[in-house]
Amino acid sequence: MGARIDSAPALPDGTAMPTKASDWTRAARRVFEYLTALGVREPQEIDRLSEQVRLRLEIRATHAPLEDAVEAAIEETHALLDEWLTVELGIDGDANALATARAAVLGGTIPGWSARWAGLAGDALAPTIRAFQRDAVPEFAPLTMQASMIELCCHRLRRRIADAICRLFCQPDLPTNPRGERS
Amino acid sequence: MTTNNGRFSGWGRHFHRPIFFSLVTLTTLGAMSLLSAAIQDDGVTPLELALLILYAILMLWITASFWTAALGFARILRRMGRRAPAGDIVQDHPEEANESFKTALVMPVYNEDPQRVFAGLKAMVQSLAETGHPEGFEIFVLSDTRDPETWIQEEIQWRQWALELDQPARLFYRNRVENTARKSGNLADFCRQWGGRYRYMIVLDADSIMTGETLLEMVRRMESDRRVALIQVPPVPVNRSSLFARMLQFAGSLYGNMFVAGLAYWQQDTANFWGHNAIIRVRPFAEHCGLPQLPGHEPFGGEILSHDFVEAALLARSGWKVRLADDLGGSYEEIPPTLIDYAKRDRRWCQGNLQHSRLVLARGFKSLSRIHFAMGVMSYLASPLWLLFLIATGIEAYFRSLKVPVYFFGDNVLPVWPESYAVEMATVLWVTLALLFLPKLLSLILLAVDPVQARRFGGLPRAALSVLIESFFSVLLAPVLMLFQSKFVAAILLRTSVGWPAQERGDHQTGLAEAVGAHGVHTLIAVATGVATYTYVPAFFWWFTPVLAGLALSIPVSMITSRTSIGRLARRAGLFLTPEESEEPRVLSLLDENLAAPQTPPFAASSDRDVWSQSVADPWTYALHAALLPDEMPSRRRRHALEGLIFKLQDEGQGSLSQQEKRTLISHRDGLYELHTLLWAGKEPPVFDLVQRQEERMAEAPTS
Repeated sequence: MGARIDSAPALPDGTAMPTKASDWTRAARRVFEYLTALGVREPQEIDRLSEQVRLRLEIRATHAPLEDAVEAAIEETHALLDEWLTVELGIDGDANALATARAAVLGGTIPGWSARWAGLAGDALAPTIRAFQRDAVPEFAPLTMQASMIELCCHRLRRRIADAICRLFCQPDLPTNPRGERS
Repeated sequence: MTTNNGRFSGWGRHFHRPIFFSLVTLTTLGAMSLLSAAIQDDGVTPLELALLILYAILMLWITASFWTAALGFARILRRMGRRAPAGDIVQDHPEEANESFKTALVMPVYNEDPQRVFAGLKAMVQSLAETGHPEGFEIFVLSDTRDPETWIQEEIQWRQWALELDQPARLFYRNRVENTARKSGNLADFCRQWGGRYRYMIVLDADSIMTGETLLEMVRRMESDRRVALIQVPPVPVNRSSLFARMLQFAGSLYGNMFVAGLAYWQQDTANFWGHNAIIRVRPFAEHCGLPQLPGHEPFGGEILSHDFVEAALLARSGWKVRLADDLGGSYEEIPPTLIDYAKRDRRWCQGNLQHSRLVLARGFKSLSRIHFAMGVMSYLASPLWLLFLIATGIEAYFRSLKVPVYFFGDNVLPVWPESYAVEMATVLWVTLALLFLPKLLSLILLAVDPVQARRFGGLPRAALSVLIESFFSVLLAPVLMLFQSKFVAAILLRTSVGWPAQERGDHQTGLAEAVGAHGVHTLIAVATGVATYTYVPAFFWWFTPVLAGLALSIPVSMITSRTSIGRLARRAGLFLTPEESEEPRVLSLLDENLAAPQTPPFAASSDRDVWSQSVADPWTYALHAALLPDEMPSRRRRHALEGLIFKLQDEGQGSLSQQEKRTLISHRDGLYELHTLLWAGKEPPVFDLVQRQEERMAEAPTS
């Protein structure tokens, strides 16, 4: 079944502790809606993926109480998709590649991706997903671009005149600032 | 250098500038001598001296414009006498021409309509494809868009078109994190990051359109002379329907051609950059056109706002050629649809042009670059100078009206009649009017000589009638623009900075409230000045009526000229026709087709969710947007800031966030993820029709 992620993370002792039934009841409907929005249409696929989300949620609940089961369920759905893409495409910790792949599959242009995600299709989709990926920018080809010097005419003229007058009339021991200009 | 056409060859070119500047100087001196003869009957008073000085400056401005048009007229007539195909340019450096290189079509955008931006680019790429030589061109959308909803729409447009174009990727898009130094900073950022990939970049504006043939020809001309760093192709205004815009389009097409030919005559290899529809050699641009901050504060210090003139001057300073391709067509732009929009655009440009006054005498620039700067300044300073001239003339007329003629004085037994200078004054007026209106007549003569071109303008009689009506309206609109621009200049001199709002580009009409708001003061000024002059200087009042009429009628004129129905009616009557309307260029038809093509509709705001939150909630737009964001580890400070914004959103609702805050939230992957999850975990799930949207995307997608 290729890269299907069909098992929820297990507890250290290998058992999965169920979350409260009421939590899942609240979350299940939203997971269904979210999966539909992702582009999963087939009831069988939705059932498979919902079940995986439920299992993940149960595991998560054993580590820490769920503040909001619905929010946690959406996060787990998201994580489930990312894990599948990571395995399917062999992405190893490359957040940019993962984000690009996510955009490619959710564009709705790759037929059969949701069945593959749900573990109901066997053909590898990596080449198709890659074909639908687009880089927004090309490889860097930098050039140096420094600010050009523009010497304005008469800029600081007033100060220069004042300095000149000062040099003529001011006392020679007039304090100067660190750059040597008269203050 | 072995070209035959399209460039200046032979020793005759050395006389172009002396001829132009001599004509301008002599005409100005002649006009001034007429005026001085008319006013210095009894010595010169300070007021008369002020009048003379103002008149000298304004005449210099008018005569420069007149002789540019007249020389352009001669140049076009000469060109008509011979075939001038662009195909006989011989390569100067064939070895370099054979190297493969890339040209980037770069379009800096700032909160523009994404559909129009991409439809225009698509039309250009389609036109390039139709030439059979699209290879070597890549498209780069350089977004400085700050509006979060427009930003996401741009990304959607990019993605859809990028899929259509298939591999290898030729369409690129990036949104700058900070829009430092506005458009010039945007281009500089492009050069710094990807400039090494391209030999040339063709800089476009959001409303630019260029034909494939022109794009190819621009590259070919650059290849033919490696000392050329920039070729500006003058854009012709197109695509607007309002009466105001159609009159401008007509004027731009009919007279613009002549002015551009004249400019190319005397500017030669030190021409100017108009900011878009130009090809630039990337390396010299990167080497020399990094813009410094001017010392001091805005409006005269800080960032250089109108970067184009300065970039051209910097290239010329470094020994590069900058050319104006007056013989090259296929370059178009869209213009503001109404008088008020036109004035708003002026408001933005005014500050940038006045800022150039500091550069006129800066060290190292070529003389002609200084003239470009000075002309830019004068294009806005002329209005307050005209205003001062009119006021001074009125005061002078008032003082003269107070003088009681004395017929008998001294030992004279016969009456001494006061000298009349009516003839001289009338001559001054007629000379000024002739300089202003003769170019219009010259353009009609060009049409009379070229019947094919005349047909494209609706035939000579209709074109002549159009010129007459356009002249009438330009007389009415001139005083209004004079007051607008005078106000802008005054505001800038009083150190009031202007913003950099996005341009209003689509056709829309001026309502009564908007017209009264913009022109109410003009009307009041007209009434007050009319009453004052009629009461105290009745003779001057009648001379002054054209100016007063323009101001008094500014509200209805502004409204009427903004009407697209009247513009279309005029078109049906064959008035203000341009060649682009008579025989629509293929690239403009392609633009129309692209705009009309069905697309996934952008999200529409509903009662409980705005477009921004719908875009974030949609898993695909969310994923697409996240993919285009940089992968950065958020600092603690930023994480807290993002959390703060999310709390604000949760506690106070979507309406509590400013556009900037919305942008901040979706500018980082972590904030975006939080937000996406939050929207889906809310009491009510997003209610928009995601399924339908996805199906529409599937239907549009290419099947690769």
